[in-house]
Amino acid sequence: MSTPFLSVRDLTVDFHTEDGVVHAVDGLSFDVEKGTTLGIVGESGSGKSVTNLAVLGLHNPETAKISGEIRLDGEELIGAPRSTMERLRGNKVAMIFQDPLTSLSPYHTIGRQIGEVFRRHTGASRAASRDRAIEMLTRVGIPQPKVRVDDYPHQFSGGMRQRAMIAMALVCDPDLLIADEPTTALDVTVQAQILDLLRDLQEQTGTAIIMITHDLGVVSGTAHEVLVMYAGRAVERGTVREVLGEPRHPYTWGLLASMPRLSAPVDVPLLPVRGTPPSLINVPPGCPFHPRCDYTDLAGPELCRGERPELSPHRGHGDACYLTLAQKQEITR
Amino acid sequence: MRVRKRSTMAALAAGLLVLTGACAEGNQGAPATSSSAPAASAEPFKPPTITVGTAEDSKGPAIEPEGVVRGGTVTMIDRDDFAHFDPGQSYVNTATNFGLLIHRGLTGYKRVAKGDYKLVGDLATDAGTVSDGGKTWTFTLKDGVKWQDGSPITSEDVKWTIERTFAPFITQGPTYVQQWLTEADHKKAYQGPYDGKRLDAIETPDDKTVVFKFKTPHADANYAFAMGGYAIVPKAKDTKEKYDKEPFSSGPYVIKSHVVDKTLDLERNPNWDAATDPIRGAYPDKWHMEFGQEALQITDRLMADAGADQTAFTFYASVPPERLQQVLGDASLAPRLLKSPSPYGNYYYFNLDRVKDVKIRQAINYAWPSKQIQQVSGGPAAAALPTTILNENTTVGYEPYDLFGKTTKPEGDIDKAKELLAQSSNPTPTIVYAYNQTPVQEQVTVVIKSALEKAGIKVVAKPLDRKTYYDSIGLVKNEFDLYWGGWGADWPSGSTVLPVIFGPVADGAPNYAHLKDPALTAEMDKITAMADIDEANAAWMALDKKVQETITPLVVAENRIANILHGSKVGGAEIDPQFWIVSPNTIFVKQ
Amino acid sequence: MLRFLTRRALGAVVTLVVISAVTFFLFFAVPADPARLACGKVCPPELLEQARHNLGLDQPLFAQFTAWLAGIFVGRDYGGLGHCPAPCLGYSFVNKAPVFETILDRLPVTVSLTVGAALVFLLFGVATGIIAALNQGRPLDKIASVSSLIGFSLQIYFVGTLALYFLVYQNQILTRPQYRPFTEDPLAWAAGLALPWVVLSIIFTANYTRMTRSTMVEQLGEDYVRTARAKGMKGRSVVMRFALRGTLTTVITIFGVDLGALIGGAIITETTFGLQGLGRLSINAVTDSDLPVLMATVLVAAGAIIVFNIIVDALYAFIDPRVRLS
Repeated sequence: MSTPFLSVRDLTVDFHTEDGVVHAVDGLSFDVEKGTTLGIVGESGSGKSVTNLAVLGLHNPETAKISGEIRLDGEELIGAPRSTMERLRGNKVAMIFQDPLTSLSPYHTIGRQIGEVFRRHTGASRAASRDRAIEMLTRVGIPQPKVRVDDYPHQFSGGMRQRAMIAMALVCDPDLLIADEPTTALDVTVQAQILDLLRDLQEQTGTAIIMITHDLGVVSGTAHEVLVMYAGRAVERGTVREVLGEPRHPYTWGLLASMPRLSAPVDVPLLPVRGTPPSLINVPPGCPFHPRCDYTDLAGPELCRGERPELSPHRGHGDACYLTLAQKQEITR
Repeated sequence: MRVRKRSTMAALAAGLLVLTGACAEGNQGAPATSSSAPAASAEPFKPPTITVGTAEDSKGPAIEPEGVVRGGTVTMIDRDDFAHFDPGQSYVNTATNFGLLIHRGLTGYKRVAKGDYKLVGDLATDAGTVSDGGKTWTFTLKDGVKWQDGSPITSEDVKWTIERTFAPFITQGPTYVQQWLTEADHKKAYQGPYDGKRLDAIETPDDKTVVFKFKTPHADANYAFAMGGYAIVPKAKDTKEKYDKEPFSSGPYVIKSHVVDKTLDLERNPNWDAATDPIRGAYPDKWHMEFGQEALQITDRLMADAGADQTAFTFYASVPPERLQQVLGDASLAPRLLKSPSPYGNYYYFNLDRVKDVKIRQAINYAWPSKQIQQVSGGPAAAALPTTILNENTTVGYEPYDLFGKTTKPEGDIDKAKELLAQSSNPTPTIVYAYNQTPVQEQVTVVIKSALEKAGIKVVAKPLDRKTYYDSIGLVKNEFDLYWGGWGADWPSGSTVLPVIFGPVADGAPNYAHLKDPALTAEMDKITAMADIDEANAAWMALDKKVQETITPLVVAENRIANILHGSKVGGAEIDPQFWIVSPNTIFVKQ
Repeated sequence: MLRFLTRRALGAVVTLVVISAVTFFLFFAVPADPARLACGKVCPPELLEQARHNLGLDQPLFAQFTAWLAGIFVGRDYGGLGHCPAPCLGYSFVNKAPVFETILDRLPVTVSLTVGAALVFLLFGVATGIIAALNQGRPLDKIASVSSLIGFSLQIYFVGTLALYFLVYQNQILTRPQYRPFTEDPLAWAAGLALPWVVLSIIFTANYTRMTRSTMVEQLGEDYVRTARAKGMKGRSVVMRFALRGTLTTVITIFGVDLGALIGGAIITETTFGLQGLGRLSINAVTDSDLPVLMATVLVAAGAIIVFNIIVDALYAFIDPRVRLS
């Protein structure tokens, strides 16, 4: 079997704060192949964004302690020199952020912000960069790109800003695109357009995408594989069909139950996940989800509070829970 | 006596007098704690002797100070530029002291030795001849006295000088001579010579002789003519208002350049002849004056005494409170430190309209915490404790007296005060004390309050705003019982003090005690009319004591002592005890 | 931009007239009488009246004010003292000179003092602020923070006096502060002002270090700065092109206020170093109750603050397109 395009193994990210060590990511492993989309799902603070900032090397080395392996196309990124990371970012790996208004510089024109990435990584001239920016704006569907290229972000609508962000991320044809909640700040119709755009672009370029979201709906529409994260760990992994169709982890069940569905009868109430996410300074022992889990008695309380459950099976559709497969099928039926 | 310019202006604004600024500053600025004041500097100051010199005394050149060297450039540093160059507008001591360098008058003070001065003829051959029972004064001009252009100084110039002080634009100089020649409201009697009208009371029988005919006898008129305000202005070069900017020199120097508030440079006047001048040594070839530095910076420069600052001194910048203890404690600075107590009279006046019982006024005098006030004012090196109304530095024929035990019990005699209060109309009176609201005055007030309360007197303290202090206490119908005020003599005689501070009662007039006593007024008129000056001086001194003894209109206040440094290569620096400023006459630059 | 400037300039003129009027009438609301200053030690009512007449103070207040205002445009006559040509800000009987002349004489002193010091404390303060922000939490940051705290709590009066004593009076390492026109001798100009510049900078740098550091730290945490890094922009370019840009807005605001206020009169600095600038002039005008000079110094001070406010607003537009285009 060939090595995956992006391979993350046993990634651990700790932040040293005045209150103690925050275990933001704790032994996470996943792979992403070219041309596919991995959806990473979880509540706020589950470690989704921290993971991806680690891939880009954007954590402050003073405060973040990172260990494990992150291999991009075979190249180890943890501990790579700053210049290597600067060369990779925006070029081979690009990122789209959640809020395009704050994530774009208010002081520079859209064209300049897109063009400078191109210039930085290809050494193209100013004029060539500008042409490239116009080209990219055209590709992401900005009307009148030759005019709008000189606009400032605040002159764009929310959807156009996110398109511009995408244009900026794709300007160097990256092999991996990390989209961190790319549609959260947008209204629903625009959301769908942006997701369509990402899908089309992936078809054209074969880029690998990591789609970070708390919204399972986004995942179902765009991702091939899904990773469900809880308290810095993966609790379930599999294809979209597997995870959404036959969810195995109680947390995934909770997420699905808390999400509205068009197919469901209107009078079925939405059930939010009970309790609050754990403190990442004092992660509960054993299964970190056990204080919020309805099935600890069934699985065996000692078991749930004892050792940390591993994802099993190791490949394919796996989850980290002490319930037996039969118990899970019984519950979901 | 003269006033300082800026700091005093606020005081002057009140229409008052002179020296208040200087005094007020002393009162404001002295350090709060003074227990560390060295006792060594408490030695008493010897008041100067001032006599009238002869024609021989009036001949030049001036008596040289010891070790005199001629030539070089001396630097003078002060905070403020001079207020006026036109003698007619000059009253403050800084302006008239500078005037000694470029102006000459009929008479002036010649330094014979340290503390020994003579009133002599300056442009005149002697200190004047009096006749007609003190009503007529005759002066004869010396030969060879010239203006800076070489033209002779004539009796016509002298007549013109006095006449022009009647002009409407002259409002700031002294007014004695004008009033003596005409009447009290002299501006109404005559409006100056510019429209061709002349004043008959001044006669010029020839180019050298000038005769003044006063309405009443004035035995001390020759002292009045020594005031810088009566220095002579050339008729031919009089530019009226503009003369204040472009004076024409009769003195040893001419102004070479002047940048207002920044610098002033003097060079020699080739037409000044030392042989005609008994007063001015004029030893340096050049004077460089700098303005704009605060007393603290000036003191620091002079303390450091480095490089060019060795040939620098200051006319007026006294060591500020924050450096005083350091300067007094440094023995190496002693040879370069000049000291002199204020020549002004400073008083805590009783408002006689309100504090009517003399026993109460005397009780307060006995209870007065002079020593404690001295302590909060900076100690004996910063404040002296006089006991008389007339200041010893400015009173010919000074006779000390101490009616209330200030010398023996400077901390106050509470028992004696209580005894007097018991005999008074109200043994537990309430006194409203108004004071200038400054940090030091706040402390002084606390000291006064606590002392008087020990004697059973309740003190209500009323702080007054600094800017309007004199306006407030100057109102005849004020609501206060006791307040500080000052007055300075214009020449060393009680005649320019007592008839003023016990003169007419009016809003803004200097009679803050509101003392109206026909017998006293008659007595003062009698002394003023005396033809014999020595007799008059003795009478003023006796009257001083009598007023304090029988009326007790005031408490004599503490008296600030000036401490002024000079550079190590400046010689002949002395504070003139009468004018309280370093005299330019004896200054020289050591090699 | 032109419309903006025209509108602001008109507003400034109105503001200045209002400020002059307020100053003028407030001056007379204080009980102290300026004529007393022009009256001798003994000041009987007749003499006071004469002095009042000489100073033009016997005219109705409103007439005095309009005469003053008109003088600015058409000049005024001062009897025996001659004509005061437009722009005539009045004649100072204390300085014995037309006020406009005095202002022209003093303004360069204050401007040289202020602008020179401002350049030093702006550059130095912003630089140390950036260094501190980039080294957040490290020793370099702590050193910058502590020294700015010390600088901030120092007084010009104190530092200036010490510096004068040790560097000038005692050891003569530096020349005594004095103003020499730049056009006359640039070297003497700089040498004469070096010490005040340094001392003024010590006090002000602290503020700029603190402000630059905190704003910079804030800016470095901004999303768009993270985006810039995510784009692969080099560290220095991220700081200079992205984070600094946002920091400058804050710095320029304070700088405009400081500069305006300083030109209006660095009173303590000028007093400490014996420089005859506008600050000194205004203090003297207050103690001397010299109304025309007082009015002029207030006008210049207000004018400086207004002008710098306009400049700051214009700079905002230059720095931040959101301001320009809204």
